[in-house]
Amino acid sequence: MLQVENLHAGYGTSEVLTGTTLHVKQGSVVALIGANGAGKTTTMRAISGMIKPASGRVLLGGQPVQGLSASRIAKLGLAHSPEGRKVFGPLSVEDNLLLGAYNHLPMFFGFRGRAAEGLEKVYALFPRLKERRLQAAGTLSGGEQQMLAIGRALMANPKVILLDEPSMGLAPVIVQEVFNIIRRLKESGVTLLLVEQFAKSALEVADYAYVMERGRIAVEGTPAQLHQNERVIAAYLG
Amino acid sequence: MNMTIIAQMAVSGALMGMVYALIAYGFQLTYATSKSINFGQGELVMLSAFFSLTLLNLGAPYWLMVIGGLLFGAAMGLVVERACVRLALEQKSEGWILLTIIFGLLGFSAAENIWGRDDRPFPSPISSDALDFFGISITGLEIAVAVGVLAVMGVIELFKHKTLLGKAFAAVSADRDAAELMGISATKTIMLSYGLSGMVAAMAGILISPITTVGPTMASALILKAFSVAVVAGLDSGFGVVVIGICLGALESLTSFYLGSGWREAPGLLLLILALAVRPNGVFGKANIRKV
Repeated sequence: MLQVENLHAGYGTSEVLTGTTLHVKQGSVVALIGANGAGKTTTMRAISGMIKPASGRVLLGGQPVQGLSASRIAKLGLAHSPEGRKVFGPLSVEDNLLLGAYNHLPMFFGFRGRAAEGLEKVYALFPRLKERRLQAAGTLSGGEQQMLAIGRALMANPKVILLDEPSMGLAPVIVQEVFNIIRRLKESGVTLLLVEQFAKSALEVADYAYVMERGRIAVEGTPAQLHQNERVIAAYLG
Repeated sequence: MNMTIIAQMAVSGALMGMVYALIAYGFQLTYATSKSINFGQGELVMLSAFFSLTLLNLGAPYWLMVIGGLLFGAAMGLVVERACVRLALEQKSEGWILLTIIFGLLGFSAAENIWGRDDRPFPSPISSDALDFFGISITGLEIAVAVGVLAVMGVIELFKHKTLLGKAFAAVSADRDAAELMGISATKTIMLSYGLSGMVAAMAGILISPITTVGPTMASALILKAFSVAVVAGLDSGFGVVVIGICLGALESLTSFYLGSGWREAPGLLLLILALAVRPNGVFGKANIRKV
C-alpha cells in the first residue's frame, strides 16, 4: 500500500535521510523504531509531504506522490498524525474531527449529516471524546488529545495512517491505553506505519518492523526475527 | 449644552465608526489565516470606490455597481495576496509589511493619474433626507451604512462558524502544518481570506463614499482609524471591532464638536497608544495560551 524507495531528505543543507527504503502492506501494522535523531520523524514528514524529499520515491497505492504538497497527499488517502499531536486547540473536539474528513465532506452545508457515520465510529472507539465533543481541544489532557489526533486521522478513512510517537509525554497507564487502541485498529484492518520510542510495545503490536540508524534502515524483519537479533536486543530491547 | 445635540453628534459619529469597524474587520480576516495584514487596505477601499463610481458614470444600475465593486475589491485582494504576501510568508519573512505599504503607494499614484486629485461626489439612490428619531435626525444614507456593515459582517461570521470551509480558516490559523495534513490547502485558504478582505474593503468604500466623497486621500484618513479600531479591539473579535468602532466614531465626532475639527484624529491615536500600553492583545483579544 505504501512503498518508500531510497528516500533522501533533510532540512536545508543537512541531509537526515540517506536512502530509506520501507514497505507497508495493506492491512498490516509496521513499526519504525530507532534512537532519537535516527530520522524516524523525518521519514514520516518526507512521506506526507511536510518536507520535500531530495530524491527517491514514495508510492501510495502504487501512485507516486513524492514532491506533492501535504494537502494533495492527504487527499490521495494518507493520514499523518504528527509528532506532538497538533490538535486545533481553539476548535471544539467535534470540529477537529470534522476537519479530519475535510476532503470527503461538502464545504458549506450538510457536512454534519454526511459526517455522522464517521463520527459515530470514532466516538465508539473513544467514548471520552464524545463526552467532550463541544469542549475546546486545547483544554483536553495529553492522552485525550492523542485520542483526538488518532480519531481525526481515522475520519478521513485513509488508505494508510502514519502515527508518529503516539505515546510521547504520556503517563504509563495512558501509553498502555494507546497501544490497546492501536491493537483494535489493527483488528479492524487499518494499514498503519507506527513510529515509537517504546520499541518493546511497538514490536508487540507490529506485523513487521524496521530499525533506523543514522538516516537509513539498519535492520528489518518480523518482531520474532528482531527478538533474535543481538544488536537489536542490546540497543533497543535490553 | 443641549442633550439632543450631544446625542445627535454621538449617533452620527457612531454610524461613521461602523465603517471603521468594517475596514478593521478586513484586517482580522487575513490576520486570522496568515498572521499578516494589508497595510494598503485604505487604498483598496479608495480604488474600489473609484472603480464603482466609474461603473455608475458608465451608466450601470446601482445593484450592478455594487456587485462589480465587490468583485473588483475581491480581485484586488487576490492581487495583494499574490504579489505582496505569498512569497514573504513562504520564506517566513516579514516582507509583506513593506510590500503591502508599497502596494498602497502604487494604488494612490494610480488613482491620482487615472481619476485625478479632486474629491468627487458619489451618487446613491438612497435618500439623504433626514428622518427623525426622538429628536435625533438620521439620514437614510447613514442607516444604509449600519445595515450594510452589519449584513456583510453577519454573513461572513456565519460563514466562518457554520461552514466547514470557515472552520478550515480557524484550523489554518491554529496550526498551518496540521491543517495541511488534513488536506486543507493553507495557500488557498489564505487566498480566500485576502479575497474576502478585499471585498469587505470595497463594501466599506461603497457605503461611505455617498456620505463623504471619493478622492485619492480618503484612504489615509480611514486607514489610521480602522487600524486603531483593530488594535484596540484585538485582531480576533468581530464583535469587538463593531463595539470599538462605534465608540471611536462617537468620541471622534464629539471631540471635533467641542475642541474643534483639528482635534478630530486625536481620540483614535490616544486610544491606540493606550491600548498598546495596557492591553496589547486588544480589549476583546484573547491572550495567547500555549500549552506544552
